[in-house]
Amino acid sequence: MSDANVYAVKTLTSKEYFAPGHRACSGCGQAVAVRMVQKALGRNIVMASATGCMEVVSSPFPQSSWEVPWIHVAFENAAAVASGIEAGLKAQRRKGKIDGRKITVVAMAGDGGTADIGLQALSGALERGHDFLYVCYDNEAYMNTGVQRSSATPFGAVTTTSPAGRVNSGQLTWKKNMMRITAAHDIPYAATASPSHPLDLVEKVKKGMETEGPAYLHVLSPCPPGWGIAAEDSIQLARLAVETGIFPLYEIDKGKHRITMNLEKLVPVKQYLKKQGRFRRLSPEMMEEIQERVCKEWQELREKAEQIDPSAGADEALSKEQEGETEAAKIFRVKAGAPV
Amino acid sequence: MITLTINGKKYEAQKGQNLLQAAIDNGIEIPHLCYHEKLPPYGGCRLCQVEVTKGEKVELTTSCTYPVSQGIQVETETPRVQKARRLVMELILTMAPDSPEIQQMARKLGIETIPGGFPSSGEKGDDCIKCGLCVRACEELVGPGSITFSSKGPERKVVPPFEEEPESCIGCGTCVHVCPTGCISMEDLGRKRKLERWKRVLSMKVCNDCSSAYIPKAQVDYYLKRTGDPYLAEWFDLCPDCR
Repeated sequence: MSDANVYAVKTLTSKEYFAPGHRACSGCGQAVAVRMVQKALGRNIVMASATGCMEVVSSPFPQSSWEVPWIHVAFENAAAVASGIEAGLKAQRRKGKIDGRKITVVAMAGDGGTADIGLQALSGALERGHDFLYVCYDNEAYMNTGVQRSSATPFGAVTTTSPAGRVNSGQLTWKKNMMRITAAHDIPYAATASPSHPLDLVEKVKKGMETEGPAYLHVLSPCPPGWGIAAEDSIQLARLAVETGIFPLYEIDKGKHRITMNLEKLVPVKQYLKKQGRFRRLSPEMMEEIQERVCKEWQELREKAEQIDPSAGADEALSKEQEGETEAAKIFRVKAGAPV
Repeated sequence: MITLTINGKKYEAQKGQNLLQAAIDNGIEIPHLCYHEKLPPYGGCRLCQVEVTKGEKVELTTSCTYPVSQGIQVETETPRVQKARRLVMELILTMAPDSPEIQQMARKLGIETIPGGFPSSGEKGDDCIKCGLCVRACEELVGPGSITFSSKGPERKVVPPFEEEPESCIGCGTCVHVCPTGCISMEDLGRKRKLERWKRVLSMKVCNDCSSAYIPKAQVDYYLKRTGDPYLAEWFDLCPDCR
């Protein structure tokens, strides 16, 4: 379903739980995503937030942007603290110290706090089956400390610790697939979301909240200084990441894959990469390599989704209609102004 | 500010607010299906019933249509309230036995079975609970008013006028997002957007640059008509990526 709706966003609540006046950079994709996530979560929540950009910009003493109970925890243990809160609430409820209303426990961390430093705490919490929602805001490097590489940094991206030189043009390893790692824990709900598709994001947060047991949400958050993009382009970049298939929007609901943003054709990755300063030194061969991998992963994802969901097969019928086209035209939808 | 007591605790509420919104703002759960904070209260689903004590009088009433006043005492979980809610929920469940959202809500209220079976036989039913959210959102939040209630009693249903394709529908998907049972679907198939339930098929506007279909033509026309700004037409010639 397309998200380009002028009017449907009116159904979102007008309350703000993430107050304005925080110190995020202009054009911060994460701040937009956090605001939307908070709107969906409402006020009956307790948050554990790992160290990272969002902690630094939202809570300079003595101010705070959080209008909900919020705990700042160390880099590695957002998931561990969240599981402690959940167990504590359960015990308090059993003793009759708090009423029976549902309180959602949320853990929030960046990609470093999820994929590198916090991975074992996350894995433990998922395995123990605590009833909580883990939201990972993925800006693809350690942006807070000045752009150091993390395991979520994509192939070819330049960071201060994966610099471009005469031989290499940035990160040499591929992005860690957190969705597959979390899904391998057999958790009831895992999904990817992007601030460029706000209604989709809100729906996924609500679904994750209502799920009994652990839920994982991976949100792409474009970072203007870290990615080398203009502040006004961050949401556009997030949308391009979805449309190129680099960051497909899908959910794994009790083991069933479902693509929530179905793409007729992919946009070539070149258009996404060329807009960013961090991919400036990418050679055409590396770009080709990235394109191949994205196509392969997109195909795999579609196969997984189609095995179970017959509605995803609608794409097949469409591509059959356009059989006169060349092989490449079947996969790509070329945008104007594309670099050649 | 008004002070009121909910379940023995004192809370504050804005003057003129309805009781349900005051409870939600204070983090108290009252189950509801037909209420939306952006729309005026409707009192259609009857699920949000609570017991209100005002002076000597104790009454069972829907909290969404009850304006808050100074010193009222509200109980949200008494046996009388629970019994009333369960009855309402059973009736709602017979209308939408297949909806996972409604099933979950029913289980929360302690309903495990209904006459005719629950979970249902798997036959695809209507799933509409006649809460009127889609009708009101279309009319009051967006404006075209493309759908309406028709018939009375057990025949009552939400349909486009004369059950024909509604020409005024702009395919914005607001009804899809407010529906509490998820019984309205919207699909983008190539250059067409289809709303199965309203029998509406819209052709999409194509971006002049990249020829991707991104918004229904009817929605653009409606937006231009409402804003009255002719320069915006150019804005919609390009999709959000190419602007």
